[in-house]
Amino acid sequence: MISPNTLVILLGTMALGTCCGLIGALMLLRRRALLADAIAHSTLPGICVAFLLTGSSSIAALGSGALVSALIAAALVSWLPQFTRMRRDAATACVLGILFGVGLALVGIIQRSSSSGAAAGLDGLLLGRTAGMLRSEAILFGLAAVTMSVVILLLRKELLVSCFDPRFGASTRIPTRSIDLLQTSLLAGTIVIALPAVGVVLTAALVVIPAASARFWTDRFDVLLRISAGLGALSGIFGTVISTSFSTIPAGPVIVLSAASFFTISLFLAPRHGLLARHRQGKMRHRKRVLRRILDATMEAELHGQESLPVEQVLAGSVAADSRSLTWVQEMGWIQRTENRIQLTEEGRKKALRARKALEIWREWLTSEASIDRDLIDLDEEEIEKILPPDLIESLQRSIDQRGER
Amino acid sequence: MSRAAIEIHDLTVAYREKPVLWDIDATIPEGSLCAIVGPNGAGKSTLLSAILGTISPASGWVKIFDQPNTLSDELIGFVPQRESVDWDFPVDVLDVVLMGTYRRLGWFRRPGKAQRNWAMECLDAVGMSDLHRRQVGELSGGQQQRVFIARALAQDTNLILMDEPFAGVDAATEEAIRSVLENLKQKGKTVVLVHHDLQTIEQFFDHVLLLNLRLIAAGPTSDTFTRENLLRTYGGRLTLLDEAAEAVRRIRTGISRSDGPSR
Repeated sequence: MISPNTLVILLGTMALGTCCGLIGALMLLRRRALLADAIAHSTLPGICVAFLLTGSSSIAALGSGALVSALIAAALVSWLPQFTRMRRDAATACVLGILFGVGLALVGIIQRSSSSGAAAGLDGLLLGRTAGMLRSEAILFGLAAVTMSVVILLLRKELLVSCFDPRFGASTRIPTRSIDLLQTSLLAGTIVIALPAVGVVLTAALVVIPAASARFWTDRFDVLLRISAGLGALSGIFGTVISTSFSTIPAGPVIVLSAASFFTISLFLAPRHGLLARHRQGKMRHRKRVLRRILDATMEAELHGQESLPVEQVLAGSVAADSRSLTWVQEMGWIQRTENRIQLTEEGRKKALRARKALEIWREWLTSEASIDRDLIDLDEEEIEKILPPDLIESLQRSIDQRGER
Repeated sequence: MSRAAIEIHDLTVAYREKPVLWDIDATIPEGSLCAIVGPNGAGKSTLLSAILGTISPASGWVKIFDQPNTLSDELIGFVPQRESVDWDFPVDVLDVVLMGTYRRLGWFRRPGKAQRNWAMECLDAVGMSDLHRRQVGELSGGQQQRVFIARALAQDTNLILMDEPFAGVDAATEEAIRSVLENLKQKGKTVVLVHHDLQTIEQFFDHVLLLNLRLIAAGPTSDTFTRENLLRTYGGRLTLLDEAAEAVRRIRTGISRSDGPSR
C-alpha cells in the first residue's frame, strides 16, 4: 500500500521527469544537449556560495544560488563564441569544467569547516535525494510541469521553426533570439528545481536521455515531445519506487538508471529506427538484391534454352547467393528446387520479366537525363514503376524498341 | 516605369570589423527576375540577409517597396540554402511548408484547415503533394529543395529571395523550380536569387547583380552580363575565368545551353 508521503514523492518526481523530458526534447532538436550538462554542473558553485552566505541549507536559499550560477553559465556559453574565436562546443566544455571545479573546491572547504549536519544537505544535492520531499515542493514541481506544457502548447510553431530553421524564422520576423532565451531559461529553471531530487551530477542525464530515447520511436515533433515527457515521468516514478525500497542508493543514480533502461529498450526495440529493425531492414535489402540476381540468372539461362541452373553455380558462381537467401526465395515461391537444380516458377518468371523490363526502362531514363539525384539509383521494379509516370514509361519503352529493331 | 522592389544604398556589412560587403548601391525593379552572381565568399548570402533585415549593416540602408526594411511590414519570401538545416529533424513535409503561414497567423494561433489546404496547394505547385506526410529526412536532395520553395510560396509575398535553389538538384527539380519562377514572374512578383551557373543566366534572368565584396555591376542582363564585368567579378581565378569566357562566348554566338553538349 502506498503511503500518502510516498504518493507525494511519486507525483513530485513524475512532474519533474515530465519537465525534464519536455525541455530535453527541445534542447536535443536544437543540438544543444551539451548545454544541459554544462548548466547542471555549473549550479554547484552557486549552491556553495549561497550556503556560505546564508548558512542555511533550505531549498529556497540553495535554489536561488543555483539559478544565479546556472544563468551565468548559460550566458557565458552563448557569449564566448560570439565575442571570441572560441567555438560553441569548446565554450560549453570549458564553462562546465571550470564552474564544476570551483564548485567541488567549495564543497571541500564547506565540509571541512562546517558542522556535519549542514554539509549532509549538500551531499544530497550532489547525488539527489527524494526521500525528504515536502508536499509544497511536489506542488511546485507540478506547477512547473503544467506551466512548461502550456508554454510549449502556446508557442509550438515558434519553437518548431526556431529549432528547425532559425534563419528562416528570423526572416519572417519571429523573434528567434527571444525564443532562444526563453528555451534556455526554461532549461535553467528545470535543472534548478530538479537538483534536490536528482543531484548536480546527474540532472543533465534526466534531461537528455528521455529525449534521446524518444527520438528512436517517432519522426513527428509533437509525438517526440509527448514520448520524451512520458519517459521522463516514468523514469521519475520507477527511480523513486526503487530508491525508497533500497534506501542505500541515492535517488539520482536510480532515476537515471531507469531512464537508461528505457533508452536501452528504445535503442534495440524501436520499430524502424531501433538496432533490431535496422538489422532486419539491412537483411531484407540484401535478400532483395540476391533475389534480383537469382531471377536474372535463371531467366538468362531460360532464354538460352537451359531450363534450370545447378545450385552450386548459383551459390558459388557469379550470382554469389548465400544459401539462406536462396531458401527464402524458394519459400516465397519464385523458384522451385528439384534435386540440385533450381528453375523459375510461373510466379517467378512473371516477376523476373517485370523486373527486367522496369530496369531497362530505368536505365533508358537515366541516360536520357543528364543530372540525376543520387538517391534514386538503387531501386527495385516496384519503386521504378511508382516513380516514373505511365506515359513516360511508354515513351521510354518505344525508344528501347526502336533501338532494338535497328 | 515600375517602382523599385529593393533599393540598396551605401550598404556596408561587417563581421567583427571585417567587411564582407562594401558600399553597395543597387536598385532592383519590381517584377524582375534577378540573379546575384559572384565567386565564393563574395557576400551573396550576406546581401540576402541584409535585404531581409536579419543582420544589421555597419552603414547604409535597404528599402523594400520604398519602406526601410526594418520598419516595413512587407513580408519577404525566403528560401535558405538547403544545407543550412538539419534534415534529420522530426518534422514532415506539410509541417515545413506550413511554416510559411506562421507570420500571418500571429502569436499563439495554430495553423488550421485553411492553412493546410493552402500549403497543399503550394506543394502541388512544385509537384510534391503526394509526399506531404513524409519525414523530411526521407526525401532526396532535390525534393527537399522543392519543399523549401513551396514554403516560400506559402508565404505568398511580392518579393522572394532564394539562396542557391539550383545547387545540386536533379533534373526534375530544376524543371519544377523553373516553372515556379516563370509563374511568379507572370504574376508580377519580384524574385532575387543567388545563382552559380553562369551558362543559364541570360536564358532565365532579366536582371543581374554582379558581386564581389563590392558591387561590380547591376542592371538588365543584356547590358550588364558582359565579358568585362564578368572578368572584373571573377578576377584572376583562372578556372572560373574560363567558365566566364565560355559563358560570354555562348551569349555572343547566341547558342543556348540546351543546344550544346550536356555537362
